[in-house]
Amino acid sequence: MRRASAVALCVVATLWSTAAPAQRPTRPHRGGLWGEFGFGPGLVRVACAGCTNVVSSNGPTSHFRIGGTVSDHVLIGFEAFSLLDKAFQFSLDVSTSTAETATATVVILWYPGKRGLFFKGGVGVAAGQYAIPTSATQADTSTGAGIALTFGTGWDWSISRKFAVTANVAAYVTAVGDIVVPGRRVDDVIATMYQGSIGFTFR
Amino acid sequence: MAVAQSIAINTFVNRVDAWVFKQDWARAGTRAWGRNLRLGWEWDEDAFPTNMFAHPYHGGLYFNAARHNGLGYFESVPIAFFGSWTWEYLGETYRPSLNDWFMTSFGGIALGEMFHRVGATIRDNGARGRSRTMRELAALPIDPMGAFNRLLRGQWKGVGPNPPEHDPGSYVLRLGGGLRFAEGLVSDSGIARMGAVVVDLLYGDQFGQEYKSPFDVFSARLILSSNGGFQALRASGRLFGSNLNKPTARIRHVLAVNQRYDYYKNPAQSVGGQSVEIGINSRWRFGSKGYGVRTSLFWDFVILGAIDAPGTGLGERNYDFGPGAGSRWEIALERHGARFLRIGGQAEYVHTVSGASADHIIDVSGIELTIPIAKGFGISGHTYVFNRDSRYSDAPRDRRDYSEARLMLVWTKAGFK
Repeated sequence: MRRASAVALCVVATLWSTAAPAQRPTRPHRGGLWGEFGFGPGLVRVACAGCTNVVSSNGPTSHFRIGGTVSDHVLIGFEAFSLLDKAFQFSLDVSTSTAETATATVVILWYPGKRGLFFKGGVGVAAGQYAIPTSATQADTSTGAGIALTFGTGWDWSISRKFAVTANVAAYVTAVGDIVVPGRRVDDVIATMYQGSIGFTFR
Repeated sequence: MAVAQSIAINTFVNRVDAWVFKQDWARAGTRAWGRNLRLGWEWDEDAFPTNMFAHPYHGGLYFNAARHNGLGYFESVPIAFFGSWTWEYLGETYRPSLNDWFMTSFGGIALGEMFHRVGATIRDNGARGRSRTMRELAALPIDPMGAFNRLLRGQWKGVGPNPPEHDPGSYVLRLGGGLRFAEGLVSDSGIARMGAVVVDLLYGDQFGQEYKSPFDVFSARLILSSNGGFQALRASGRLFGSNLNKPTARIRHVLAVNQRYDYYKNPAQSVGGQSVEIGINSRWRFGSKGYGVRTSLFWDFVILGAIDAPGTGLGERNYDFGPGAGSRWEIALERHGARFLRIGGQAEYVHTVSGASADHIIDVSGIELTIPIAKGFGISGHTYVFNRDSRYSDAPRDRRDYSEARLMLVWTKAGFK
């Protein structure tokens, strides 16, 4: 049932995008000042120095992008992204911690053709925060800051001249240094996040 | 073709390491690939020159495979990332190294584009005979992928037009050889004396030409020493430029966004990294003979830097990795871009994300004076002071300084338009 709904949604979206050529703007994608916000499911994999395995977890993600136009095919912008997991599992005996990883990057969006397909790459800074509750009202919080690299692809579906719905798939590689959790120090943390999202684009 | 050549580079390097050098780490098969894909990134423990120079040079091969197959600078960027990513995940039994991916990709782009342009300048499609062969051979170590592709296409001998990169417009090449005096380099006390070679190249002139494409203007400095060999390599290329006032004005101000590659290795600082900087270059012209004063003021974001940290680091590695930020400034007396007096400084902050839990502040400042003595030749003196201040969360603070001077005979060749 769920698969049938997804197929129907894809068909509707495809028909919408192909059956309304009159609504398509002269420039097929974003132009001038543009902005996008979106959200969707994410997966985070945390590795560290000396770790023999990685910790994987799911969580909701959100992003916000704003930028301008460099040329007909290239856009530049700023992107903020975050993934929040309220049941993050640093180890088998700790499953109640909250992990939040955020990035702030400069991104380049490249539209290779005249349709809505684009590829994204960017680099910037990252921050990670891990909170482990020690009582009903208190938590041990550890933060780290470092670098972020992002790659992804997406598709802008034109809804109107000023508005588009954007599908995104992206990866974020972040390095946030050492994280200290009760009884354990996790060295040189690398958190790799994968995001699938739907965005709303104003252009 | 660019993707195929980047895969071919990886396959060739991997097989040479496995069959010729008998390296176990090169025997990566499906089991290692599966493990690498499952576990993902980690930090590696390679030596400083390996991570900070050899890998960027390797990345330049990917980038130039793309450049020599018709792709522009920006179109070649994904090829550098792709080549490095596939090597990290599929080329070694070790887990993929995040620092390698950064250094190979970003460093490969910076060095690759610089080598691509230097190679194109050395080569001359209009030359014939021995001169032509010598030019092709001279460009080979700088731009191997260019040499390979030209060989495939019969361009080592074919006569034809040169690419636009062949002519930098204005340029200054300065070669210096002489003595280097370094305090505390060989022993704890006293001043050691050794040989030094300094190569400076200014390709293009941001005041002489409008921005056309990335690295249409770049500067590079290479320092070799009889003690320790490869001591420094720095390259900074213009990614974007814009005039802030009229190009015909006597006082000019130009906004520039540069991509920068740094590699320094000395007792106070083993420092390197990949950066993007933004700032203003200015020029005040005097008279009609090309004399003037140039100033630069730039702020940078260090995408990923490395700095030595004895007793810390990770495993066998004795340096840290981290992002950072900083600034640099310069005031120079010049003629047609060739500096005669140069005063400058640079300060950088690096926050460790792999290695010791630390924050590092480094700075370097120096003066260079070149006195012409005959046509093209001159005497040049340099003096520099390097400082570092490292603050660790769980170790004593480390403050060091190191000074050195150079006295050299220099030869300058310049062209201007």
